[in-house]
Amino acid sequence: MSMPLVVQERSAAHRGLQAAGIVVLAALAVWASTANQFVLGQLTVALLYATAIAGLNLATGYTGQLSIGHSAFFGLGAYTTGILVASHNWNPLVTLIPAALLCFATGLLVGLPSLRIRGINLALVTLALAVAFPELVDRFPGFTGGQIGLDISVFQLLPPHWTGISVADRFQYYYWLSAGLLAIVLVLCATLTRSRAGLAMRAVRDRETAAAAMGVNLAWTKMATFGLSGAITGVAGGIFAIYLGSLSADSSFTLTLSITLITGLVIGGVATTLGPVIGGLAVYFVPYWTENLRQGEASELIFGVVLIALMFVMPEGLMGLAIRLSRRVLRVEPQPPVYPRGRSGPLHPTDADHPAARDSAPATAPDHRQERNTA
Amino acid sequence: MSLLQVEDLHAGYGQAEVLHGISLAVEPGEVVVILGANGAGKTTTMRAVAGLIGRRGAVSIDGAALSSHEPGAAVAAGLALVPQGRGTFTKLTVTENLLVGATRRRDKAEVARDIERWYEVFPALGRRTGQAAGTMSGGEQQMLAIARALMSRPRLLLCDEPSLGLAPQIVRGVFDVLRQVNADDGTAMLIVEQNAELALDLASRVYVLEVGRVVSSGAADELRDSDTIRRAYLGY
Amino acid sequence: MEIFLDRLFDGLSNGAIYATLALALVMVYRATGTINFAQGEMALFTTYLAWGLTTHNVPVWVALLAAAAAGFLLGAVSERTLVRPIEKRGLLATLIVLLGLFSVLNAADGLLWGRGNQSMPSLFPNTLTSYVSVLGARLYWANIGVWLLVAAVVGLMFALFNRTPLGLQMRATANNRESAALSGIPVGRILMLGWGLSAAIGAVAGVLFTPLTPDSLSLGEMFPLLIYASAAALFGGLDSPGGAVVAGLLLGVVEVLLPAYVPAVGGQLQEAIAFVAIVAVLLLRPQGLFGSKEVERV
Repeated sequence: MSMPLVVQERSAAHRGLQAAGIVVLAALAVWASTANQFVLGQLTVALLYATAIAGLNLATGYTGQLSIGHSAFFGLGAYTTGILVASHNWNPLVTLIPAALLCFATGLLVGLPSLRIRGINLALVTLALAVAFPELVDRFPGFTGGQIGLDISVFQLLPPHWTGISVADRFQYYYWLSAGLLAIVLVLCATLTRSRAGLAMRAVRDRETAAAAMGVNLAWTKMATFGLSGAITGVAGGIFAIYLGSLSADSSFTLTLSITLITGLVIGGVATTLGPVIGGLAVYFVPYWTENLRQGEASELIFGVVLIALMFVMPEGLMGLAIRLSRRVLRVEPQPPVYPRGRSGPLHPTDADHPAARDSAPATAPDHRQERNTA
Repeated sequence: MSLLQVEDLHAGYGQAEVLHGISLAVEPGEVVVILGANGAGKTTTMRAVAGLIGRRGAVSIDGAALSSHEPGAAVAAGLALVPQGRGTFTKLTVTENLLVGATRRRDKAEVARDIERWYEVFPALGRRTGQAAGTMSGGEQQMLAIARALMSRPRLLLCDEPSLGLAPQIVRGVFDVLRQVNADDGTAMLIVEQNAELALDLASRVYVLEVGRVVSSGAADELRDSDTIRRAYLGY
Repeated sequence: MEIFLDRLFDGLSNGAIYATLALALVMVYRATGTINFAQGEMALFTTYLAWGLTTHNVPVWVALLAAAAAGFLLGAVSERTLVRPIEKRGLLATLIVLLGLFSVLNAADGLLWGRGNQSMPSLFPNTLTSYVSVLGARLYWANIGVWLLVAAVVGLMFALFNRTPLGLQMRATANNRESAALSGIPVGRILMLGWGLSAAIGAVAGVLFTPLTPDSLSLGEMFPLLIYASAAALFGGLDSPGGAVVAGLLLGVVEVLLPAYVPAVGGQLQEAIAFVAIVAVLLLRPQGLFGSKEVERV
């Protein structure tokens, strides 16, 4: 067997490999669910971070719009769920819809001036968003619990009856909520980024003016991407609220979280589908394992150093590196294009494949084609 | 000993090598023209010699090899490049543009005199001394770019496509100035041009580039009527 | 009337600092085309340094000079080692590296000088009675001192940029780096100088401003200031130093007067206001009040 193995896109072999990959991931997820309560809780949060990062990836990774404001989306989703459940007795899962919509709208708003805002400026706007969010929460304590925080009664957050999960096993429920969300989001992102929309996003990232000249609607692409990105991160925040049950903006939803998310994005691999998963796991577990160093500042310091080092040494992230290495073993090639029947010329199949063309061709046709071949 | 000696120059952008061993020379006071179709490597040659992009191969001025690949080294050795597209300092005034050209000079009085001289040679500039350079027309910016380069009193002036985007009338004016400067100051010139006719009029020698190599060279008069030029540009 | 003047003086003092930080931001933007995200943190780091010196009985003005020098060094080294190598990888990469620097500096502050709030001693007499009466309002010496120093810094920068050959080189480099190199300008050194000066200005701003509010030297001090300064810089047009200064002063005054006279706006909505201001400016006039429009050629 020669290396690299070449597989055609969308062929049976390709589909088979993809299915195998999904099975492996699913098996991993199931195996992880057998862990104890504490680890399940950790995984839950880590996977929620991964989802938030996947959302961030759409705006920053694929469309090139740096956002250090995604902590605000995460927080907005969390507080939407929190307030609706605690103060208005909504079903927790249902609150994810308004959370998503609200975050989508906010994302659109932030991206709204984007035709006129160039990369730098948008980043500043997101910085302001990140810093403003905790302030806004504190400003309206009647609504949000202010600096004291928002508490949701555990009874409102228990696994619903139809899941068949008992109260004692509720961490399974939270785990599967976050794992399920992650799976859905990953599929969504994978589909989106491989579509025409994904091309538009990358065009905007790489060469805006040229993209506009080729018909990409810049404002719409940027706005919609930001909206969707915010919505995804917001829903992750909503489930975070369901899991945690107790929210405090000043500790959880600050600029530091935004930096954590960006770090995770870069570690995992910008503009890759699975990168966010690696990133989310990394930014949750690495600080946890190094906790014996002083709290807070130490991990911030490490994040900063990691960010800088990565951009120099491994800008494509762990996933990007993995993809690059895997190309030595396996390469997926796009299918050759199919031409309509009846055309003739040097690039097209010979007459042997098109009896109809052959029959109607004049006697001098072969010479004609000869000349074109040498041009 | 040639003023400029380029030997076996290789240069490119990233992975793509564009120049595959260019060799050329310019004698003191000469006007040499580089011709070639689009993509032949003319601009790359200029940029490599001026030190804007990395290069392999020897570039020497007056026999002394250029030490580093930085543009500063070339300027210090008496080279000045008028880049393609002019490279005007759009937010600086016309006078400031000229002053920047004289950055390395210490003789303030002479610098002031030079500025006056260029305002006489290019009256259009003289009328707009305080104007932001970016608001001027293409032709005016071209003249400004040439004047700016000449402010450093170079021994060799490199000009990359001076006629690009300019009306024929203006182009003739530009070439007239170049001829005048060459005659009055003895400044050698290496000019890259698409407009073969005008360039051959001014030059004493020509190099023709094709796909990163020198395919022919010789006296301007000889090459003017030959097939080589036509083939280099039109491919037949 | 006195209360209004009181507030006005307050606003102008705050505004002076926003103006100074905005000026630093504009300087870096003009020189290198990037916003120095870490500007606030560089200022904070050097302010902490100054504070640390004062706890060892170093006179404040010496600490100020030391902070400015440290800031210069910090800025120049950052440009050379972090920004220049990464610039060619694109804006996103550059911004992320600056974000990393932001984190490193902030964390370093906490590790070196602790997490708590500190009080930064003032350069000027700063007691409750060190003021002069203007129409019944109190104009503190410290405020006057801040204005004078800021005016001096702004004046020096203006003179540097517009009246000296060095300033011409800096403006040329900011306008067209390649042509600047072709003219023989030592572009690398100019860039380092630009960043160094900018960080030094930030340091001065930090050391001057922090004492105006007791107990305000803390890890989170600079975030809001950075946002205000960015808003001011954008508002005035990212490449217009004069605009940044005017906008900074305006912003400082509005920040104080608006909550006082429009009760709906609470005292804690500062950043939200700045956020709205930024968005509004960018929507209505992307080049700011005094900036120039940029044309990009494909």
